[in-house]
Amino acid sequence: MAAIRYAPLWTRAFHSFNLLVLLLMAASGLQIYNANPVFGGRDGATVPELFTLGGWLAGGRDWHFGVMGLYAANLGVWIGLLLRQRHQRLAALGDVGTLRVSSNTPKRRLAAHRLVYSLMLIVLGFSLITGMAMYKPAQFWWLVAPFSFAEAAGHDSWQVLRVCHLATIPAISLLLGAHVVLSWRVGGLRLWRSMAV
Amino acid sequence: MVNPADPLSRRRSLGLLLGAAPTLLLGGCALNGVSEAVGAATQPLNERLEALLQGKGKLPEFRPNQVDPAALLINSFNGMPDIDPASYRLDVDGLVSRPLRLDLAALAALPQQQCVLRHVCVEGWSAIVAWSGPRLADVLALAGPSPLAGYVFIASADQYYESWDMASALHPQTLLATHMNGAPLPAANGAPLRLATPVKLGYKLSKWVTGLKLMATLGDRRGYWEDQGYEWFAGL
Repeated sequence: MAAIRYAPLWTRAFHSFNLLVLLLMAASGLQIYNANPVFGGRDGATVPELFTLGGWLAGGRDWHFGVMGLYAANLGVWIGLLLRQRHQRLAALGDVGTLRVSSNTPKRRLAAHRLVYSLMLIVLGFSLITGMAMYKPAQFWWLVAPFSFAEAAGHDSWQVLRVCHLATIPAISLLLGAHVVLSWRVGGLRLWRSMAV
Repeated sequence: MVNPADPLSRRRSLGLLLGAAPTLLLGGCALNGVSEAVGAATQPLNERLEALLQGKGKLPEFRPNQVDPAALLINSFNGMPDIDPASYRLDVDGLVSRPLRLDLAALAALPQQQCVLRHVCVEGWSAIVAWSGPRLADVLALAGPSPLAGYVFIASADQYYESWDMASALHPQTLLATHMNGAPLPAANGAPLRLATPVKLGYKLSKWVTGLKLMATLGDRRGYWEDQGYEWFAGL
């Protein structure tokens, strides 16, 4: 059996740390959600305590705003390095073409996997933008402005932001499921081990 | 192949890792006790950045037709105090050259300003509200604040208490509101006098304000919710 070709150390480090802080951000975010559910307000259904972090609103905010800087810095530097040094590994239009015309199954899987993990980075970036807009809506009013597109339909930009920020959790969960399955189909345990720290 | 002599082979550690994943969920409960320490470690830096981020100039406001009265929910930690407008007085003291005791007529005689702002609650909801009344900066200027004053302690009739940094108190859109959405302030919303500003979360916006005290340093009582774990600066 050939030796495993490990991904560069920085890739593995950013990848693992991102998973850790993402779990903390999601769980503390759901704790904050429970103080006033996005859907239904004070009468809305809350998230089971099992999936929350912090114990109460202030505890959830302690974690969410305590970790956000690490989350943002890790994601920002990681995406920057990926674009600079490993952009050939990120999805390109060619991958969409492969999915449309190729009948070569391994090639299709590889293209689908590249699309999935590249999309994950975009969703994580979107969670950061919507989060910043709600963290400082007065100072970053220009970041809130693009979310007022549904105002004519009676949806305040704040509610749009809340829904968008929350939507990144189911979105990243679905993509994470696809990422795990596809990476297994593409490279099996060897690929997983090549990304383990 | 698993080497029995190696208790932490790569394959075994992978299995251990997968097996340990469910404990992460249980660990979440244990982590709740660490929340305060996480906040204590990170809030000072966050608060400093928030203060740096906050400009001295006016922020964009909303259009009056964006006001949604139904969106503004009522929060109070201790019910609603009974205040007689005729005997009501606002005390301004502490590090000032002229301590004041203002009645509602004196507050109404000051220049009035209307601000259509988004009121953001720490719980996550928000409401666009049109507040009007004198600017907090004008009331403080009347009292002649000492250059040593760095903080304002705000006392309320319901025993709620808050403390603000001077820069936020002097912000041109920080009001001592007496009116809301074009009508006199309802009792549930803090009549006869409450704080309103675009730059702070709702729990900083004391209702039923009866006293302003200028201080050089923050005391032990930093705010009702802050003393229970909420962030003090709470900037928006």
